[in-house]
Amino acid sequence: MADPILELDKVTVRRGMGVVLQDFSLQIKSGECVILHGKNGAGKSTIIETAARLLPMESGAVAHHGSLVCDGQGRRLNPEKSFGLTLQSNCLVASQTVEQHLTNVMDLCAKSIDLKPILSAFKIANRRNDKIAHLSGGQQRKVAVIAGLIPAMVEQQPRLVVLDEPDSGLDDAAITVLVQTIHELRNIGHCFMIATHDSRLFECGTSLNDLHSEKTQEVSNDARWVVESESKSLKLLKTKIGWKYNSSTLVSVQRNWLAALLVMGGLLSIVDPLTLSDETVILMGFTLAPAFTLGLVGDAVFKILNEQRSIDWWRAQYNQVPNSYVESFISGLILTTISSQIFIQSVDYRIIIIGGLISLFTTACVRFLQLSTIRLTRSNAVFIRLLTPILILPWGIIVDYCAKL
Amino acid sequence: MRVKSGDMLLIAGFSGLMLTLYLAFNWAPSVNINAFQSPEAQRIFYWHVPAAWAAFIAFAVLFIGSALWFFKRSPLGWKLHVAGSEAGLACGLMAVWSGCVWGAAEWGTPWDWQDYRLNTFGLLTLLALFLVLGRQSQPDGVESRDTFSTFGLYGFVLVPITYIATRIWVIRHPGPVIAGDDDSSISGDMAIVLMIGALSFTLLIIGHIMTSVEITKFEQRIDRLQKELDGE
Repeated sequence: MADPILELDKVTVRRGMGVVLQDFSLQIKSGECVILHGKNGAGKSTIIETAARLLPMESGAVAHHGSLVCDGQGRRLNPEKSFGLTLQSNCLVASQTVEQHLTNVMDLCAKSIDLKPILSAFKIANRRNDKIAHLSGGQQRKVAVIAGLIPAMVEQQPRLVVLDEPDSGLDDAAITVLVQTIHELRNIGHCFMIATHDSRLFECGTSLNDLHSEKTQEVSNDARWVVESESKSLKLLKTKIGWKYNSSTLVSVQRNWLAALLVMGGLLSIVDPLTLSDETVILMGFTLAPAFTLGLVGDAVFKILNEQRSIDWWRAQYNQVPNSYVESFISGLILTTISSQIFIQSVDYRIIIIGGLISLFTTACVRFLQLSTIRLTRSNAVFIRLLTPILILPWGIIVDYCAKL
Repeated sequence: MRVKSGDMLLIAGFSGLMLTLYLAFNWAPSVNINAFQSPEAQRIFYWHVPAAWAAFIAFAVLFIGSALWFFKRSPLGWKLHVAGSEAGLACGLMAVWSGCVWGAAEWGTPWDWQDYRLNTFGLLTLLALFLVLGRQSQPDGVESRDTFSTFGLYGFVLVPITYIATRIWVIRHPGPVIAGDDDSSISGDMAIVLMIGALSFTLLIIGHIMTSVEITKFEQRIDRLQKELDGE
């Protein structure tokens, strides 16, 4: 008997003040497709998000390919194999192109395939190089669904695919293509868990589960997906993808750089550095202030990923989401070089490196604080920045140290 | 109207605070004028030290409540978390504000960003502010309770650091007056006023916590009844 690809073992999940799932168990094996079709509020999305490691459990455990990925003890381990995921939100970054987004997903799987036939089937091949922001709602949904299917499309070995209402916003033709694609992928051994109210997707299911009872059914479609993929490197994935997000959106320029330059300009407008030549601590503080400000604004990639719950898509795949640490370090170096010239009229490589490290460390701390509140219903509304003054003391100590160099 | 024990403690604590203020300004002896830049401003210490003491009690309650909710899902734990963060914010702000007033008079600056005691205590107060404001920004649920309890647990790490800060890194803030070494002893009359202040703040904080627990209980009951009306 084959081991299950996905196993939910006596899972209990609370949302708000209520218990949504109580001791819920489910197993999905290679070649199976489970359709979750309960009424609104029954807990379908909760099962999907629990299987994707997005919701903490009160008790129970979730395993992918026989390995624990999360449990009621708070353990959260990276899945050994990537899995397909489409949430109710599209989890897209609007300033990326369709191809850039899907390439990121392929990078995550360490594989690549020719996207053209897939995009043609879903009738969005002509929008391949368009920014996602320029697509209609239905077209964006198609991209999100394709992104969810890619981990199975690029792999011969069985993979898990979890889709939450993939039909939402799709036209009839796209749903027909989706149903056929699911048949083909399931027939080569991939397994699916799909939450839907659309009866057209029911024909894909080897079992229909209304969260209280399960009914198995025969599936007659024998078509098989042909995998033609190439292997890619997975090294420094999160940093590489963070770099791509940053370079395509320039968000770090409009947020972090702007704030840092404003601070530099503001300081220059109130003091003439030449009149403070004896005040080395103050001048060093001015020199390192832009790098510190750049970090305090926070991780630019984190800001991008907050669009359409992209961050949740990444968190499901990896415990560490893409970051902009490299940009932060480089920006800190550049800004400190400029501010050194302005405030201390010299360039000391030690101070420049310290400036880069200040930016990097501050960015990492602010990002950690923001990630700590990601589970909240309104994580953007929480006053997490109130805790950033914790960074002023170490910054002050470093300024003192640098002034003595 | 039935007066509850929490209300009684609040009244007793508040009366004690008024007495402390009166004694501090009219009865407590002056300090040696050569030992301080601004000797008269030193009288604020009868308010500042008890407020800081009460804040530490509140932070301890916050920690216990956070731990009880996080590990045991105890409803009482969450009520203590709420009460501890509110009381910690109130007393923390009183200690920080009075410290700033004294610092401005004695040091010439209300705040020193490089003093460990000031910064760690200020951060504890900011943590309490974050917990109070953050909680109000979120719907009540296991997600928000878990998140804020985690901050309550981690934040408590600052309490011992704050306490020992003046023993290890004396920068600006004076050394400890409670449970300090021989050099930290104060004269008898000063100690009496300080003790009355500490006792009053302790009564006030216990009264506040009891009242806050009661209010949270009512809020949860209203929320439950609201959901019943919504048919959930």
